[in-house]
Amino acid sequence: MKNLILALLFTFIPALFYAQVTAFDKFEDKTGVETVIVNKKMFQLMGSVRTDGKDKADYQQYLDLIKKLDYLKVYRTTNAKYSADMKATVATYLKSNPLEELMRINEGGRNIKIYVKSGKSASQVRELLMFMDGGKMETVVMSLTGNFDLSEISLLTDKMNLPGGNELNKASKKK
Amino acid sequence: MKRNLSLFTLLLVILTSCSSEPTLQKFYVEHGSSPGYMTVDIAPNFIGTEHMKLTRDQEEALKSLHKFNVLVYQTDSLDVTHKKYNVEKDKVKSLVKNEYEELMKMNDGKSGASISTKGEGEHIDEFVVFVHNEDNGFGVVRVLGDDMTPTNVLTIAGLLQESKLNMAQFKPLKDLMAKKK
Repeated sequence: MKNLILALLFTFIPALFYAQVTAFDKFEDKTGVETVIVNKKMFQLMGSVRTDGKDKADYQQYLDLIKKLDYLKVYRTTNAKYSADMKATVATYLKSNPLEELMRINEGGRNIKIYVKSGKSASQVRELLMFMDGGKMETVVMSLTGNFDLSEISLLTDKMNLPGGNELNKASKKK
Repeated sequence: MKRNLSLFTLLLVILTSCSSEPTLQKFYVEHGSSPGYMTVDIAPNFIGTEHMKLTRDQEEALKSLHKFNVLVYQTDSLDVTHKKYNVEKDKVKSLVKNEYEELMKMNDGKSGASISTKGEGEHIDEFVVFVHNEDNGFGVVRVLGDDMTPTNVLTIAGLLQESKLNMAQFKPLKDLMAKKK
């Protein structure tokens, strides 16, 4: 009987890891919402590319960082209904998962908030959540999970075209 | 009770490991000649490398690539509500989801794309690229190979850029696009 329980446990453990259902998954497959999702396996594969040539050192730093990432999820919309829904979802998400507010920016009618969940040390980030309330413009929710250093964010924004790159750059320099 | 439970688990194991499960491969075979569907096999020699001097890395990368299997579904012009399209698309989508590990996806509700793989760690045996657009239809490309590492994939991508592509094998696909317009 004990074995059975163990066996069942082992069959379901992977499901726990893979089924990383987040509050924002409901925005997928909605007309009017643009989503980009990159999974851990992709980061691992990208990170394991062998590089040589002149820009090796530069690239290697980037690859090392990539290996530390788990998920990247970006949702964008200009639809007023979904914008409101995103705002509400972020609020509820923050209630159930207390994240620290890293910074808040008000720029040209756009309200940008960046939240982080710190790891062992203060600059260690497990989760980064960015919410750009576009008002009448585009609303963006970006969630990046992994185990990386805040100072490495600027590397990411340089190489990958992340939304709110400038703001994130400011955020990473602040700490 | 205990016996029943263990029988049940055994059954569960058999059922989940049973080969009668629908796979993408079977879907290709079963739907290849169905209305709206088309399949094309493409050999890697479409990358015209005969006249090129290949480095050892490049040769190895090419060897890891076996073939491309393409399945295309065209949206019926009478299917204004995209009902049929969605039924077919969801079939393929769930097959890909169950059988492969998803790397990344993009979606804007009307159209989207995803890349998934099968294989252990960085030794990939199969890539599946799934592209869909409700106005045109969808396409699935299975890239079959043996131990396609990310480095090999990048090398091949580089080769594709330098080489003269032999586009003849893509002709059916091109025709399809042209017909659509």
